[in-house]
Amino acid sequence: MPKAMIQDNTRCIGCRACMVACKAWNDLPGDTGNSFFAGAGYQNPRDLDPHNYTVITYTGIEAGPNGQPDWVFGRLLCMHCVEPACVSACPTTALTKSPDGPVVFNSWRCIGCRYCMQACPFVVPKFDFDRVVPAIHKCTFCADRIKVGRDPACAQVCPTQAISFGERDDMVKEAKRRIATAPGRYIPHIYGLDEVGGTSVLHLSSVPFEKLGYPTNLPDKAPPDRTSQVLHLTPKIFTTVWVSMAVIAMIVKRRFRFWAHDEHEGDGHGEGHGSH
Amino acid sequence: MGMVKGMEATDAPRWWRPVQFLLWVIVLAAVVTTVVRFATGIATIANVNQAYPWGWWVGFDMLTRIALGGVGFTMAAAGEIFDFRGLRHLVRAALLLGLLWYLTYAAVLVVELGRPWMIWWVFLSWAPTSAMYEVALCAVAYTTVLVLEFSPLVLTKLGYTRPVRRINAVYLLIVITGVSLSSLHQSSLGTLLLLLPTKVHPLWHSDLLPVFFLLSAIMAGPALMLVEHPLATHFLRRQPRMDALRGLGRGLTVIVLGYLLLRLGDVLYRGQAEVALSWGFESRWFWLEIVVGLVIPLALLLAPGTDQNKWALCAAGAFVVAGVALNRLNAAVITMKVHSWEWYQPATTEVLISVGALAAMVLAYVYLVRWLPIHEEPRLPRETAARPEPAAARPVRVAP
Repeated sequence: MPKAMIQDNTRCIGCRACMVACKAWNDLPGDTGNSFFAGAGYQNPRDLDPHNYTVITYTGIEAGPNGQPDWVFGRLLCMHCVEPACVSACPTTALTKSPDGPVVFNSWRCIGCRYCMQACPFVVPKFDFDRVVPAIHKCTFCADRIKVGRDPACAQVCPTQAISFGERDDMVKEAKRRIATAPGRYIPHIYGLDEVGGTSVLHLSSVPFEKLGYPTNLPDKAPPDRTSQVLHLTPKIFTTVWVSMAVIAMIVKRRFRFWAHDEHEGDGHGEGHGSH
Repeated sequence: MGMVKGMEATDAPRWWRPVQFLLWVIVLAAVVTTVVRFATGIATIANVNQAYPWGWWVGFDMLTRIALGGVGFTMAAAGEIFDFRGLRHLVRAALLLGLLWYLTYAAVLVVELGRPWMIWWVFLSWAPTSAMYEVALCAVAYTTVLVLEFSPLVLTKLGYTRPVRRINAVYLLIVITGVSLSSLHQSSLGTLLLLLPTKVHPLWHSDLLPVFFLLSAIMAGPALMLVEHPLATHFLRRQPRMDALRGLGRGLTVIVLGYLLLRLGDVLYRGQAEVALSWGFESRWFWLEIVVGLVIPLALLLAPGTDQNKWALCAAGAFVVAGVALNRLNAAVITMKVHSWEWYQPATTEVLISVGALAAMVLAYVYLVRWLPIHEEPRLPRETAARPEPAAARPVRVAP
């Protein structure tokens, strides 16, 4: 059964234990950078990168009727789409979608075309542009932990239960329940329920997701649906063009032995009419 | 090389030597840049980044080069299959151009791909949902077709007649297969961008993207020949084939008009008229593309007297070629938006790789049109007097 995660941003206190747990479990190196600003948020590191599979974002807003300043948090991580565009885009199937939810990357098969990065509507996969032997890096949903029945590292370590993990159906129900029982606390939108055909990470928030810097121009239909409609036509297009070109050539040449191509011209080249 | 040098003395303009030197310098600079890229990583020579992972190389060296490489299949179809009047005389030059566009695309791909040494995985994979997979397979297959189509010229020159006879026996089948493969991957480059509805601007993102990409690649065929033929015959001092140029001009008029109507109709149908008329950043690039690539050449082509004037036809072709390039760059680079706070502008060294590949193309083209019987038009009469050999013979001058 497909798993899912609730990222309840209203419960997040910005402690970044999830980021630490992620680094620990995935054996990612530490960073010394200090580039803070990325769009809506002020945080370090500013965005996901090859060393950071998840990042808590800090966004200053004006809250309440008096407009007093406050912080809201968001989290960047792979959304593990139900119908992932990156998986559909990969020309070598280096990216695969597991039945239990995770979208995992196999660097051995990667040719570095970076189409997955382009295809991802959440701009999640990251690439080692500065390395001689680069690879794609992104959140694995702790596929190795899920396989043995454990929660992803970030979900396990979150001290305020801002991250919940379970069956996707249960998580959707739980997210709806939270919004229904505390309508003042949440905006009535589960980010990831319908976006690009649904995702395995469901975000809840007290402010519109736009303010958190989340992409909000997403279609409900999964983008791969659109392209696969076209790509399914491949054999038909090939056959149609081939046959119609052959028929035209036969009609134009007024003969059926159209493949016997001007051998008598003898200037050695197929088109053979240069000497007319 | 010796062979080529022998010919240079007879028919190259005086400025060619310094220009040739400059082109070699550019090629060398691009090669050095490539060495740096493989020694230190892509980031040293390119500004592609986590938000804009493709940039100039995909916009120009993949999308534009392949679109312009469409000259090979369109002219092969026009000359060999449809057998339009006079056009089969241009097929050899068209195949050469097509081959050069595809080979330089492959060359830059090696620089652009993050892990080019793993490219063989594409051939061991089954990824029918990926437009990139289809483009990769079809482009490789079609480059093979181009090599087969062009090889009789080279093999004959080298004296191998038996393989030439074998190829000629199935020549038309090869051409037809090439047209089919091209229809697939030219349109699949549109499908490639179809997957990015949130990043490609609505003035370019349409369900018709595959159709537009195929149509504009077809459009690039006659356009490129309108540029090549007057220039080549001018510098080789040969009689241009005005009947073929007129035919190309007429064909191009129809395709450009059809494409223009379809493109504007699509923008209207998708309710983007307001965006198009907003005169914002994207809107201005959109109109530049439409005016430069379609309206101006259309006006030129329809102007009285154009079909008697090879340079007017040449200019019309050049505008269309520029328009096709601008279309690909607009869609995949200039107006592509990922996050409002992220930014991309190509690095000088990034563009240098492309320019180096262009310089290599020009050099290869010039050497090959002198070595091979690609332009068989009669020499211009006033020039023949100055020449030691009669035009028709065109013997191979073998280096000592």
